[in-house]
Amino acid sequence: MATVTLSNVVKRFGVFEVVHGANIDIKHGEFVVFVGPSGCGKSTLLRMIAGLEDISGGEIAIGGKLVNDVEPADRGIAMVFQSYALYPHMSVEQNLSFGLRMTGNPKADTDRRVKRAAEILRISELMDRRPKKLSGGQRQRVAIGRAIVREPQVFLFDEPLSNLDAELRVQMRVEISRLHKELGATMIYVTHDQTEAMTLADRIVVLRAGHIEQIGRPLDLYDDPDNLFVAGFVGSPKMNFIKAQIVGHDARGVVVELAGQEKTRITQPLAGAAPEAGSKVIVGVRPEHFGSAGEGGTDLVVAIDVVEHLGGTSFLYARTAHGEDVVIQRDAAKVPTTSEVTISIRKSYLFDEKGLRLR
Amino acid sequence: MRNRNATAYRFLAPYLLIFSVFWVWPIISSFMISFQATRTVPWRFAPGFNWGRLIGDPAFFNALKNTLLILVIQVPVMIALAMVMAVLLNSPLLKARGLYRFAFFAPVVVGEVAYSAVFRLMFSLDFGIVNKLLNSVGLPKVDWFSNVTPAMALIMIAVTWRWAGYNAIILLAGMQSIPEDVYEAATLDRVSKLKQFFYITLPLLKPVIVFCLVLSIIGTMQLFTEPFLITERGGPGGGTETLGLLLYRQGFRSLNFGYASAVAYTMAALAIAITLVQLWLTREKQ
Repeated sequence: MATVTLSNVVKRFGVFEVVHGANIDIKHGEFVVFVGPSGCGKSTLLRMIAGLEDISGGEIAIGGKLVNDVEPADRGIAMVFQSYALYPHMSVEQNLSFGLRMTGNPKADTDRRVKRAAEILRISELMDRRPKKLSGGQRQRVAIGRAIVREPQVFLFDEPLSNLDAELRVQMRVEISRLHKELGATMIYVTHDQTEAMTLADRIVVLRAGHIEQIGRPLDLYDDPDNLFVAGFVGSPKMNFIKAQIVGHDARGVVVELAGQEKTRITQPLAGAAPEAGSKVIVGVRPEHFGSAGEGGTDLVVAIDVVEHLGGTSFLYARTAHGEDVVIQRDAAKVPTTSEVTISIRKSYLFDEKGLRLR
Repeated sequence: MRNRNATAYRFLAPYLLIFSVFWVWPIISSFMISFQATRTVPWRFAPGFNWGRLIGDPAFFNALKNTLLILVIQVPVMIALAMVMAVLLNSPLLKARGLYRFAFFAPVVVGEVAYSAVFRLMFSLDFGIVNKLLNSVGLPKVDWFSNVTPAMALIMIAVTWRWAGYNAIILLAGMQSIPEDVYEAATLDRVSKLKQFFYITLPLLKPVIVFCLVLSIIGTMQLFTEPFLITERGGPGGGTETLGLLLYRQGFRSLNFGYASAVAYTMAALAIAITLVQLWLTREKQ
């Protein structure tokens, strides 16, 4: 069973700590995506699992076996690099078989594995070509093929699609998803692209500055973020944040007034303890949770700056009376023609001053 | 567009003029001189005079043999040594890398006369440190300057000392341009460090190695300083006389410019021929 367990994993470069005690449990066959902005430690975490970086503290177990001091080659993992890391002087076939040939694997078995990988990735006709004669997408397939022939317990992907153009990225995303279904192996995937994370992952690990912000299924993170960072990072366009203040409580929950707009109040049900009246908070509203006037509990007047038409939907880039930017999602047919429009907030999230979610 | 080209050529004109007078013309002129008998006054056109002599001149064949011997033995040894030095310099375990890099490169910067003098002292029969070291391990003294084989070995050691570091720095630059993740991929593929060197580093360094070889071949074909200064004008008895020295002897001591020009063109032709063969042998096979 190829489970991967990280317990209090710490990474320091000199005195500088870049990963601060990561705890993650990855189940057999799960597709887990580490996502976060540049420098958040996601690639370092992946490289520690691969054994390419030493672990400064904590434990990593693969398949229930502690691998802290196990050589990378003996961890039962295979890695696909961002730059593909293909051997430029070898043909596709040689690239795929190199590791097996060098370790004295029987030729018949090597040939079988290479043939199978080529068939899975549909690169059989490219076997005699050198990497420089391949397109970006084909190179990426070969890089994945090289991982497949190792028949690893765990596949590690380090931003594998970031060098591809937008169209190819979508295509390869689907291919990787298909591959995961076909192989059923545990996969850990690093990306800074939240769309990739949302579309590929069984579970997402959101990282920021070496801390795990939240772990959960894609839609759970989207619908129920733990904090302002996750709320803002997951979803495109990102969640709108409007400054507000607690003004009181009623039977339905806490009453919040948007900053600079005395008449715009939202009542938010809270299960936990509500902050005192006068506390500053942040109201988060996803673009699709704005409705037409009267559709939700609270109406709000905004001035529209720009409208982006994407076909079926449109995005309205607008400003509140207090000068805060908001993005509103609308059906193309319902785009207002006036520069000022009244909208309603149908659903909102509440965060305290530290950015933690108030539930 | 034509106007713009004309302006560009006007700016280039001073350089092109100097280039033509001091570079192109001497090349053409010396080629023409090689077809003249230059030990008569006035010089006269005699196409077969120098070239005919070249074919039957034992001194030319001696110099050619010496030059090729150095080429065949010293160049591969030096490149192999340079490769070892580059691998060591590239090791992440090495401390004070900058210092070593400077130390390896320093011989190129040292003046030729100074280093030749030091080599003469080091290899001196009675006072040299090399013979003292040989004695201390129970080996007999070697008379480096009076016997042909040790003298030739001395030339090769000196040239290797001077240029191995230079080549190592070039090879090191090539090694550092190989992406680290290719090695990481190989490590994950369970490929040992030694196999990584032979199956990844060496093939990817091939263009750089060829570059070093070509530079070294050209340099050796023109070898002059070491046999002139260390073994005293190609001694003993012409045992270390190279084509460069023969050219000097004919041109500037015997003032036989015609024959010296013929030797010079032979040296250039040989360097080009050997380099072309080298490039053909190491060409990229599809």
